[in-house]
Amino acid sequence: MREETSAPSVLRPPSTPGSPRVLDFLLENGLYVSTLILIAVFSVSIPVFFTLENAVNILSSAALKGIIAAGFTITLIAGLIDTSILGMAALSTVLTGVLFQQLGWPLWTTMLGVAAAALVMASLNDALVVRAKINSFVATTATSGVFLGVCLALTNGQTITITRPELQTVLLARPLGLPVAIWLMFAVYGAGYVLLNHTRLGSHLYATGANHNAARVNGVPVNRVTHIAFALCALAAALGTVLATARAGSSLLFGTQFLTFDLTEIFTAVLLGGASLFGGSGKIERNLVAVLFLTILANGLQLLQTGTGIWLVLKGAAFVAAIILDVVRQRRQ
Amino acid sequence: MLESSNLEHANRFGATSETILETRNLSKSFGAVQAVRNVNWSVKRGEVCALLGDNGAGKSTLIKLITGAILPSSGEIWVRGSRARITGPSDALNLGIAPVYQDLALIEGRNVIQNMFLGSELTHGPLNLFLDHARMALETTRVLGEIRSRIPSARAVVRKLSGGQRQAVAIARTLIRGGQIIIMDEPTAALGVEQTREVLQLIENLRTQGRTVVLITHNMSQVFQVADQVSVMFRGEMIGTKRVKDTNQEEVISMIVGAKREAMGAA
Repeated sequence: MREETSAPSVLRPPSTPGSPRVLDFLLENGLYVSTLILIAVFSVSIPVFFTLENAVNILSSAALKGIIAAGFTITLIAGLIDTSILGMAALSTVLTGVLFQQLGWPLWTTMLGVAAAALVMASLNDALVVRAKINSFVATTATSGVFLGVCLALTNGQTITITRPELQTVLLARPLGLPVAIWLMFAVYGAGYVLLNHTRLGSHLYATGANHNAARVNGVPVNRVTHIAFALCALAAALGTVLATARAGSSLLFGTQFLTFDLTEIFTAVLLGGASLFGGSGKIERNLVAVLFLTILANGLQLLQTGTGIWLVLKGAAFVAAIILDVVRQRRQ
Repeated sequence: MLESSNLEHANRFGATSETILETRNLSKSFGAVQAVRNVNWSVKRGEVCALLGDNGAGKSTLIKLITGAILPSSGEIWVRGSRARITGPSDALNLGIAPVYQDLALIEGRNVIQNMFLGSELTHGPLNLFLDHARMALETTRVLGEIRSRIPSARAVVRKLSGGQRQAVAIARTLIRGGQIIIMDEPTAALGVEQTREVLQLIENLRTQGRTVVLITHNMSQVFQVADQVSVMFRGEMIGTKRVKDTNQEEVISMIVGAKREAMGAA
């Protein structure tokens, strides 16, 4: 046993023998290929599809869901499923209406107020998950109901129309020709990319989601990481919703029905993007492509005037495909 | 017999200048159960010390006390000739006592570098905000080279590594954190022949580097392959410590059997 071993061989490239490369390629690049095919098909079949105006339109639509999906991805990477994004978005749009329109608050204090409310909602989720040790999916589904109930209590189910102009003049402005929402989406994804790949917190988010106990014994402050993940998700949901509210010119709640997105769309986008329901994996930049894929699909079908039915069927199919992809990825690992 | 054995042990090893880790009358009770009883035990710098004993003998509890995972009911821990105040794992780590967890506590989907620095990442830039990928990669390669590991690449994802290579990552991680006394709990329990050989070689390499290793094991032949000292525990007590070169498997087995007979006789 005591003889010397050969020289260290840490510089040899990693070998992955025996992996079916086609499946690996599809799992890794299928989303990009599908998106390109979709763009090609719609460009050929719809004359107005491949235009600058439509591209801006697609990006604007993608921005609202994209920002919310970015926050959702971060919680998913941290091993948390925050379904309360729906309730948080609803309360954010209602608060925007109440604070800005009904109480006459200035735009920036309104936004700070909505952000503060988002952080309070995140803290409630955090308390249930970290302190009461309730599964995040169950806890946030419950709190989402609470947030929607608060919305109903605040508005009696009435939509608040926003007549003061500042919200739209600021948030629908077009610096350098592109709407603010698109710039903000790129900023959110850029910040998310840096956070996840180049900061200590990013490393801790992945570790906490992948193996909570291993992260803890290695000194990762897992409770703080969970708190920050919930907070970032809530802030993203609030930001996306305020932008959507500005775009619509009114609060986006009809009764308890939130109008801009539903949970399956967000789930589909983040799972197609490669994040996993099992936590600890996912790349936020792929998530952006997945959001664009879904938005392009919706846009193309709308231009083809196929009707809502086809869109709902394809959206459902994409959701199922996304879940199957997630399971296949996990089994391959 | 047990007490005199402890005393003899303390006289033999307790006060040498080479002693790096020592316990003095260390005890731990869980309610009515005394998991560790008045253990006097010491480990010399740069040696591999094997800790033998049946399940429930108190080995893991002793190790948890030393690594700060649990606090003793009574007794003292001395490190490098000074009494140590270990109130948690970070205190132990600051003293250079680093455990390799039995499940290794690795993140499967992350690469070797990310695992090596998990929880102690190197940063740079404004407000030390950004990960210093380059320095972490260099350090990882350096430490893996130091222990002569056979990991193909520092960027390999842990999921794709063999059991032996994973052990190497977990061991290298303790070194990155300044580990001088590496505590390994049954490192070869789940490994095949080749991987076990690889891990024993790693332990040997650690000794060559001047590190101290405490090795909990059930495997007698491994003790005689890599250890300098072997200590035997039985029902929470340290029943004896021998220099490996001065003993043989039969004598160590007879220590365990003798303790069992004595316990049965007392009962």
